[in-house]
Amino acid sequence: MKEELEAFVLHEARLLDEQRFGDWLALFAADGTYWVPTRPGQGSPQEALSLVYETRQLLEVRIERLRRADVHVQTPPSRTVHHVSGIEILDPTDRSWSFEVRSSLIVAEWRLDEARWFAARVLHGLRREGGGLHIVLKRVDLINADAPHRALAVPL
Amino acid sequence: MEHLLRDGAVHRAAYVDPAVFALEQERIFRRAWLYLAHESEVPAAGDYVLARLGPEEVLLVRQEGGALALLHNRCAHRGARIVTQPTGNARQFRCPYHSWTYRLDGSLLGVPLADGYPPSFKLEELGLARVARVESYNGFVFGSHAAQGPGLAEFLGGLRSALDNMVDRAPAGTLTRFGGRLLLEYRGNWKMFMENAVDLVHPVFVHRSSVEATRAHDEALHADELTQQGAQMYLANGMKGEQWQDVPLHAFPGGHVYMGGFYRRGVIAPERHDPVFERYRHALVKRHGEEKTAAVLAVDRFNNLIWPTLSVNARFAALRVVKPLAANRTVVEVHCFRLDGAPQEMHDLTLQFVNLAASPASLIASDDLEIFERCQRGLESAALDWIDVRRGVLADRREGDGSIRSPGTSELAIRNQFEAWRGYMAR
Repeated sequence: MKEELEAFVLHEARLLDEQRFGDWLALFAADGTYWVPTRPGQGSPQEALSLVYETRQLLEVRIERLRRADVHVQTPPSRTVHHVSGIEILDPTDRSWSFEVRSSLIVAEWRLDEARWFAARVLHGLRREGGGLHIVLKRVDLINADAPHRALAVPL
Repeated sequence: MEHLLRDGAVHRAAYVDPAVFALEQERIFRRAWLYLAHESEVPAAGDYVLARLGPEEVLLVRQEGGALALLHNRCAHRGARIVTQPTGNARQFRCPYHSWTYRLDGSLLGVPLADGYPPSFKLEELGLARVARVESYNGFVFGSHAAQGPGLAEFLGGLRSALDNMVDRAPAGTLTRFGGRLLLEYRGNWKMFMENAVDLVHPVFVHRSSVEATRAHDEALHADELTQQGAQMYLANGMKGEQWQDVPLHAFPGGHVYMGGFYRRGVIAPERHDPVFERYRHALVKRHGEEKTAAVLAVDRFNNLIWPTLSVNARFAALRVVKPLAANRTVVEVHCFRLDGAPQEMHDLTLQFVNLAASPASLIASDDLEIFERCQRGLESAALDWIDVRRGVLADRREGDGSIRSPGTSELAIRNQFEAWRGYMAR
């Protein structure tokens, strides 16, 4: 099981690096959510603003947009490397998922003539559906969640 | 600075020249009233907020008697920053370097080794420097580095109504800031944000990818309210030129301007029809009566700009505050409010509206930031010096209240902002 969960998290990161956003989205459960809080240790999306708090339906729009030629903030597109490490399997902290994976994430991004990097702790809340694992929640806690950010267009 | 403006055009130096930026800091940002914080952020004695006010970092502090003090965050001794947390509560302020200690009003309480100083060293002459003026309007606190000049209410002029309307929307009659803040940064001039907020020709071009993507995934329009609200907001950016024509711009002296509403349907329409909104409306009627409630809710203006740095959205209980850092670097802070007495679901809708419309990761805001950076890069080129701002000038109409009205497709707001800019920069 541990190996399967680790492989899932690494695969998810790889899909983003390969810009296979449609395949990435397909990893989310129908009630799945992608969440990037603005507060370190933020208790809930209702407690404070979020950089991203999107249900599967809104993620569909986000990802559809990335496919379009007139998405200015991704013309040209970002190139990224997600470095995932320190993967731990923990007891679920929420009843809506059956597996909980925590990891450390460094994302290096290159776009136009500039490099940026992001560092975060990540929580994956996963559930098995129809044989495969699906994301109920991907939560990305950036170490600078409360800092000013320039445009953030691709998922972390 | 006269040479940077000519009839219907602005010189690119107004956006890219560091010398112009330095002069703006002196002549605009050390004179105008700049938004600082809301009273609800400092409810108790000793509560403070650390904020940037034009070129300076300042501390807004609630005093024992309830008054507000606005102090520079700089020790009067060696200059160290005293406070480094964005908000907090203090009984007194102590410098970490040599422990000079100040009362909440900034006066110097004591220094170590006081015996070693000559009689000319007087504590009462050595407090934290105070910012010249701090004033509150209906709970919104502004500061000004200028000792002289119009009072806050006079400065706000025709845009007082925007702040009043946000307060009127609260069934309990008060607002409470909540939810922390979003911070956006772009490598571009501060004026671009203020201009773009009331440039109604850009959405259909800049935000087309979001509009088309929403059309392709209209299941988002039929999901829960939080999601529907976002999808409808994306779609509204797809209005065509002739529709924007019907969204009026009202420009006032001082560079202030508001635009009419453009959300027509669904959960983002000015008056919704659902159980949560009905409960909210009922609470509002208890406060105002039917007639005034209808009038308060009928105000459907979208962005209200209090030049030079504040954008108010009363209907969605949000503020955006522009913080110029350099000619080519700007931070925008986004704040939101609870309408006290409104159902919890309304606060959730406020948060999610702001997330989806104003976060740096927003489908809408991210494309705006990209365009600002492209403009800045382009304007750094000496290839062409003048930026044309004549769009729609033939339709400008002067109104009885001293404002100028034009259809939404006009560049009236930009011309009006530069009129204010000219006034500040001339001397």
